[in-house]
Amino acid sequence: MSDPLVIERSERPSGLVVARQAAPAFAPSIAATFVAPAGYAYDPSGSEGLALLASSLASSGAGRRNRIELARELDRLGGTLRTSCHPESAEVTVWGPRASSEALVAILADVVLAPRAGTADLDRVRRQLYERQLRETSQPESRAERELFRAVFPPGHPYRLSGVGSRRSIGRIRRSDIARFHHDHFSSEGSFLVVTSARPLQAIARSADRLFAGLKGRRGPKLPQLPTARTRTGALPPIAMPGRAQVEIRMGGPSIARGSEVYPAAYLANEILGGRPLLARLFQKVREAHGLAYHASSELEPMRWGGHWLVQAGTGPERTAKVLKLLESEIDRIRDTPPSTAELEAIRTSAIGEIPLGLETTSGAHEFAVDVTYHGLPGDFYRAWPGILRSVRPSDVRRAAEIAFDATRAATIVVGPTV
Amino acid sequence: MSRSGLVDRFSLPNGLEVILAPTPRSPTVSVWVWYRVGSKNEWPGVTGASHWVEHMLFLGSPRYRKGEIDRAVIGVGGRLNAFTGNVFTAYFSTVPREHLAIPLRIEADRMTRALLAPAEVTRERTVIRSEREGAENWPEFRVSETVDELAFRRHPYRWSPLGYPEDILALTQKDLAAYYHRFYGTSNAVLVVAGGFDRGAVTRTIRRRFGPLPRTGEDPTVSTKEPPATGERRARLSGPGSTPSLTIGWRQPGIADRRIPAIAMLDVILGGETALFRIGRPWGSSGEHPSARLYRALVDSGLAVSATSSFSPRIHPGTFTIDIQAAKGITLERLEEAVLRETERIARAGVTRREMDDARVKVRRGAELAYEGAGATGFRLGYFAMLGPKGFERALLRAILRVRASDVQVAARELFESASRVVVGYDPTGDGSAG
Repeated sequence: MSDPLVIERSERPSGLVVARQAAPAFAPSIAATFVAPAGYAYDPSGSEGLALLASSLASSGAGRRNRIELARELDRLGGTLRTSCHPESAEVTVWGPRASSEALVAILADVVLAPRAGTADLDRVRRQLYERQLRETSQPESRAERELFRAVFPPGHPYRLSGVGSRRSIGRIRRSDIARFHHDHFSSEGSFLVVTSARPLQAIARSADRLFAGLKGRRGPKLPQLPTARTRTGALPPIAMPGRAQVEIRMGGPSIARGSEVYPAAYLANEILGGRPLLARLFQKVREAHGLAYHASSELEPMRWGGHWLVQAGTGPERTAKVLKLLESEIDRIRDTPPSTAELEAIRTSAIGEIPLGLETTSGAHEFAVDVTYHGLPGDFYRAWPGILRSVRPSDVRRAAEIAFDATRAATIVVGPTV
Repeated sequence: MSRSGLVDRFSLPNGLEVILAPTPRSPTVSVWVWYRVGSKNEWPGVTGASHWVEHMLFLGSPRYRKGEIDRAVIGVGGRLNAFTGNVFTAYFSTVPREHLAIPLRIEADRMTRALLAPAEVTRERTVIRSEREGAENWPEFRVSETVDELAFRRHPYRWSPLGYPEDILALTQKDLAAYYHRFYGTSNAVLVVAGGFDRGAVTRTIRRRFGPLPRTGEDPTVSTKEPPATGERRARLSGPGSTPSLTIGWRQPGIADRRIPAIAMLDVILGGETALFRIGRPWGSSGEHPSARLYRALVDSGLAVSATSSFSPRIHPGTFTIDIQAAKGITLERLEEAVLRETERIARAGVTRREMDDARVKVRRGAELAYEGAGATGFRLGYFAMLGPKGFERALLRAILRVRASDVQVAARELFESASRVVVGYDPTGDGSAG
């Protein structure tokens, strides 16, 4: 199979799901990602930051290599190793030349199975997380998002936080906590290995059986309970940050999960509102028509358990009121009025037309494969995606926008020099 | 590995340089136009003009009214954008291969005939101000701007491509139009097409679209020379923020200088990578480098949370900088001592054979996958065309790989002299919030 839009899967005897995507034929690289149920939703109470700490430490040595030996080996192979931690999952990704494929996947297996961060590594990453905590509250952009999500999601909800924990919670975490978390969450149950490569699935699966044999018998974690307490909505108290040059505005709230039946229409609603760069309404209205701001856009972030939406703009203090009014009116409009057929068609054509751009590089194509595998979508999902989008009608977009950009659970915050 | 063996280069009679890099099976094609104009061509009073003109080229031409360029490219699933630096301004569109005609038509149209309508200039002024204000929210921008202001007294590298706020307020439509007509045109541009296309057909289209354009566009030599530095220059900033930071810069030769390959190796050994040949992303930093000297001396030791070096590939002499973010409780004075200890150590004792071997591997590996994708290929071919003549990338790569340990030591000794040193510290005053 050489179609990068078709993802093949095999569940291995260990329970690990291995997915394979053909690398674009003209691309000289491969990519492999291990996705584990190890996001910060699983942080134990009082140890907030544990998942991110564990994820950040993954590149601090593995198997027989310490941190510097690991870095040197990656350089020798021409590869990179990246880790990321999200609310629901954590990912480790290797990327590099085709000729290094086997060796890179072996490193990935080492990182997943045999991390070996020392005390000095823990101290170093802790210092880096302290800095991230400070930055999160001191930059208007991140501060605005932080306060917004803390308002619209109840305490204990994983989408409420960024995973960095507090100085106190990070300070309390010991190496043994990290080792236990890693063991419990990097398991065969609930984890995926996604490989974008020219090698056939059977060959990849056989390698995976051998390299990831140590996962056998490990059980996955229990899904966390998501709290449903009432949250704050409407206009939140503004936060003044004197000395800054620009005001940051954020509006948003909880939204749909990726598995929602309205997802395709909600996806198009977000693209029309502010997600499609340069074409979307927010950019057109706030920047192109009124010249009020450099950036104005929207995001829809559907995950497995739910999601959130966000509208954002940055502008001068004297223009804030005008921008707020425009943003609000555009959000109301997408909820209240179906887009014209022409507008929907333009956005839809753009969304379908961009699929080949995702296949320009191995890492671009790999994102499709990780997305399909993580969300349990059919292997040919991106083959079918254009047809799904074509079936969406203007009235579907309005209805989906009403659900996905739920006004009753939304809030607004303004952060900046004088607000 | 550079792409020069698989690339066609030719010039049109009107001076336009063309670079074609076909990858027959690629589903996409990327069109780039690079103009040899940037903040280096500005002068006090018109700072920021290059960047503002870049914005205006999306806002109307005879064939494309405002918004139509965006709709034409994004409407078919493409991506487009532009950016302005010190030495160039670049425009790009990447589209599914069957839509190649669209960006070629757009670029030919706006190369000499952008409208720069007065009403749009007025409206865009606020957008430009907003872009600058957004940057000013970041302490890193303030530090970087101060480093350049201290390092350069006369040369146009003194100001950021975003321009001074007072110039953004004062520039007129007439100023911008004059700037555009002076610097934009066929004889000051390089057109790069990369990705899935037929060489013959594209060559014919380019000749038809760009051939009739008049020969315009100056690339005047920037004659202003920065006088030799005669002593260290310092500034201490304070403002909102979370983390104290320190940037130390030194005067670095222009990209064509014979010492540059050794300076690039010095950058790899100190900071872990060098901008032109890095493993991973074609631009931006690729993450942490735990084996690099600065990382070991500053981050591992607990003095800092990050430590990087940057060699700036510029035509005229620029700055080589070291950027450090302090760990909690560490003073900037202590950080500065630690940085200078490392720069003195490398100048005095040189580098090890193993460091050289590792650095060569990194550079070689970084070059190998640098051309993956039509977008990265278009970027790279155009970028190197802005910096040097045909074959420049390959020659530079070879020269870097030939550098000896003794060359790195000599480069360090010459580079890290205190007379050209610029030191900028940033003391955060807290998050500044009242909420």
